[in-house]
Amino acid sequence: MPDKNLPENGSTHFRYFVAAKPNGSPGDGTLEHPSRSIRDAIEGIRARHAGDSPSVRRLNGYDRIDICSVLKGPAAKAETKQRYEFFVDPLGATDLAIGSAQLPWPDLESALEGVAKMDAEGAISLAAGEHLSLSVREVFSATPVDRRKRRHERIAQIALGLVTLSLVVPLVAILSHLIYKAWPVLTPSFLFENPRNQMTAGGVWAPLIGTFYLVFISLIIASPIGVLAGVYLNEYARDNWFTRVVNLAVVNLAGVPSIVHALFGVGAFVMFANMGESVLAASCTLAIMTLPVIITSTREALASVPMNFREACWNMGASRWQTIRTIVLPNSISGILTGVILQVSRAAGETAPILFTGAALYMTIPTKGLRSFFPYSLQDGCMALSYHLHVMMTQVKGASPEAIEAGKSLPLEHLQYGTAVVLIGLVLTVNSFSIGLRMYLRSRKKW
Amino acid sequence: MASVGIQIRDLSVKYGDKPALREVSLDIPPNQIFGIIGPANSGKTTLLKCINRTIDFVTTASVNGSLLVGDQDVRRMRNVYELRRRIGMVFPLPVGLPMSIYDNVAYGPRMAGVRQRGELDVLVERCLRQAALWDEVKDRLTLLGTKLSGGQQQRLTLARALSLEPDVLCLDEFSIAIDPVTTMKIEEVLLELSREMTIVLVTNLVQQARRLAQNVAFFNSSRLVEVGETKQLFTKPREQLTFDYVTGNIG
Amino acid sequence: MATITGNLNERPTPARRGTSSLQRLGELAIESLIRLCGYSAILFVFGIFFFVFREGAPMLFGGLDLLKFFTSTDWNPVSKTPSYGILGLLAGTASVTVLSMALAVPLGLGAAVFVSEFCSPKIKEALKIAIEMLAAIPSIVWGFIAYMMLNPLIIWATGAPVGLNVLNASIILALMSVPVIVSVGEDALKAVPDSYREAALALGASRWEIVYRVLFPAAKNGLLAAVLLGIGRAIGETMAVLMATGNANQIPTSPLDRVQTLTATIAAELGEAVQGDDHYRVLFVIGILLFVIAFVVNLSADLIVRGIRGKQNA
Repeated sequence: MPDKNLPENGSTHFRYFVAAKPNGSPGDGTLEHPSRSIRDAIEGIRARHAGDSPSVRRLNGYDRIDICSVLKGPAAKAETKQRYEFFVDPLGATDLAIGSAQLPWPDLESALEGVAKMDAEGAISLAAGEHLSLSVREVFSATPVDRRKRRHERIAQIALGLVTLSLVVPLVAILSHLIYKAWPVLTPSFLFENPRNQMTAGGVWAPLIGTFYLVFISLIIASPIGVLAGVYLNEYARDNWFTRVVNLAVVNLAGVPSIVHALFGVGAFVMFANMGESVLAASCTLAIMTLPVIITSTREALASVPMNFREACWNMGASRWQTIRTIVLPNSISGILTGVILQVSRAAGETAPILFTGAALYMTIPTKGLRSFFPYSLQDGCMALSYHLHVMMTQVKGASPEAIEAGKSLPLEHLQYGTAVVLIGLVLTVNSFSIGLRMYLRSRKKW
Repeated sequence: MASVGIQIRDLSVKYGDKPALREVSLDIPPNQIFGIIGPANSGKTTLLKCINRTIDFVTTASVNGSLLVGDQDVRRMRNVYELRRRIGMVFPLPVGLPMSIYDNVAYGPRMAGVRQRGELDVLVERCLRQAALWDEVKDRLTLLGTKLSGGQQQRLTLARALSLEPDVLCLDEFSIAIDPVTTMKIEEVLLELSREMTIVLVTNLVQQARRLAQNVAFFNSSRLVEVGETKQLFTKPREQLTFDYVTGNIG
Repeated sequence: MATITGNLNERPTPARRGTSSLQRLGELAIESLIRLCGYSAILFVFGIFFFVFREGAPMLFGGLDLLKFFTSTDWNPVSKTPSYGILGLLAGTASVTVLSMALAVPLGLGAAVFVSEFCSPKIKEALKIAIEMLAAIPSIVWGFIAYMMLNPLIIWATGAPVGLNVLNASIILALMSVPVIVSVGEDALKAVPDSYREAALALGASRWEIVYRVLFPAAKNGLLAAVLLGIGRAIGETMAVLMATGNANQIPTSPLDRVQTLTATIAAELGEAVQGDDHYRVLFVIGILLFVIAFVVNLSADLIVRGIRGKQNA
């Protein structure tokens, strides 16, 4: 069988051997049994690579066939010197084809004919240790460089895909583990019962309602102020250095650590405004925490409305407010809503800002009747889901095995996981609203 | 609609330190198409902005001189919205507001207090007909204005400008972003409209001014160079600069 | 030829109707309200710094030895001779930030590149939703995960006696910061004009070559901003590190050591400090420090991004 080297990347380099022995045995072109003449070698090549049913295969781009004249003796396997180089190029061929790089043969058959003709005319003579090359070029086939690039690209794609997967997999694993561990406790009664027996039994109703209180109150404080402030900054404020400073400050205050918000809440609301640790103080702290982000996302939503809409309206005699009311706000309301909803989920999940401003360890509230929906007053503290999870992790001693046996208490672990699942479920549900709203937005694009 | 002309006396505008208009004095007679030509940055758009006081929105602009529409000095008017309703404006880039075609044309009147559906129906049809757009959109008045082609949006802008029955209609290079067929249609409309309103046509296309305008003013580098009857300005202009511009040697 | 229907003289003239003075008054009221909200928002925003500063100022300009504050590891606020050295806490914050960024930056940037350049639109949608979900998880839940799930995992994997340490906190912080890096990084890559990509393709580049030869240099400012924002997130995190670090005030020598961060210190001790006394005020001083660090990091990231936008609009 012919000696096949595979240099780089898939192009094949076929070598066939000739040892000039006009009357020797017909070889098959291998090093051990070389063909006895160039003409025989050509025949062999034709059988292997040309015609309708080549015994090896047809040639593709960047394949090469060498006809090597065998060196006798120990040097037989050495690299032979290239004496002649011919080219086959289907796209480069012209009427006059002589096998050179500029005037290549159009296909292997005519190349073999051409070489045979040259051989018959005695134009080719290969001394021992020399070879004749027939290189095939195809313009649109991949060069070795191309193939290497494509391999690198594939590797990069797989590597980066794995990297991304390494983020998604933990998410899925964490969520499933949480739900699995919390499963025994995830019943509707868990949501609607208060914690009891020193938090070794019961549910999360009081903290859940508390979270709703905090989120709702902080929302009605922060959203109108935030949205209107965003309207002011984007539509009315003149573009001077002061406005630019304000915009910069607002954007960057969104990145303040949550514990600093807690400190602010203590300094401003608990102490200075004398609210004490109360629902009101905690809600105000949450409101200030969400305010910068609501302002920024409102401004972005407003800025996405093109300026020439506003100019068209002004030129028709509409005032600034009329333009905002009829064109700008209606076309940015969905972006504004998305921003507000995201802040809702953030306010529901944050613990630090309410730690010292109003979150209470434990409060008894009714679980039945209308009062169970409105149990807290503004001046007192309240329980909150996020803080409750913290408490469950750090301050609650588990029930004794006897109590669990007796059915009076539940294993601490179940309650902890249950609380975590309720909190994360609440947050992710709110976030899905925002995502859904965004997708709805995109489908209804008006310009 | 009254027949109002525009009288401009010594109007000077500066954006910060850069002069945009230098002591321009000009009379625009009523009920005709008045052309304003000149190369880029010669102050043509600034002049239009002064007429309907949208120059107020440019915070760096300072304006001196007087500009009278009819007999009222626009710079002293308290109700600037009233002024802008009397002056219709069409911009170079077509703007379709993101609402239905009907609402687009009804927008101005609605802001001005017209509420009756019947009135608005009549008004919308009339303006769309005047803008040569009615036949193309009469079956789909609920289509979003932004979904129309460029040429259609420009005619929609024209319809909006006409919806408040302005005394003056200003067009700022209205044809540069639309196809020649639509341009032709709008030009026909303008000729028709000029019988009942004053039209100020700012254009870079010298031939367009020649076709449409009865009088033409030539601006260059924020100065008014020459003003006169179309025929005279184009065949025997008084200034060398004007001659160079209309023959295409400069600009 | 355009035709005009209707009789010239019979048409109503809407332009003459105009707006009533009541309408104008109502508009004026609304615009005043808008202005009021604008000014009050500005007030609140600056107020955040003011009130924190107010509580901490007496110690900051009064009794606090600032040199010892920053260079001593002796944090003993409740002894008879209290000392307030936060070096250990600084080391705690720094160590978890550095290690978490070492994990988060390659992961985050890699994922940003993948989402932006290498995957199909449908997978892209799904991935972006997954990353958003990751970002939505509240920090207390991350603390819970660190305490209940990662803790035993680390003990099992490394044989350490306790699984609450720098390593635990860093893994958690990395998972919390990655969404920030991915979304800001993806924005930065999206901001590179498509014409750059097309030009590179025309020259025969593969997608990977486009990424590291064209996109990274072009988007390097935005990617840097993404990393900065991730760092800001890690430095400012409180509840998760409170649970994950083991809360031992010391300079760590290995990732398996326990540490305590600045943020967790405030959270842990503010409840016990008497309002108005030195300990209380020093905690506020730490708060001022955190505020300044976070503000500077966020501001730098923001200015870097504005720098790009300015250049692109020029």
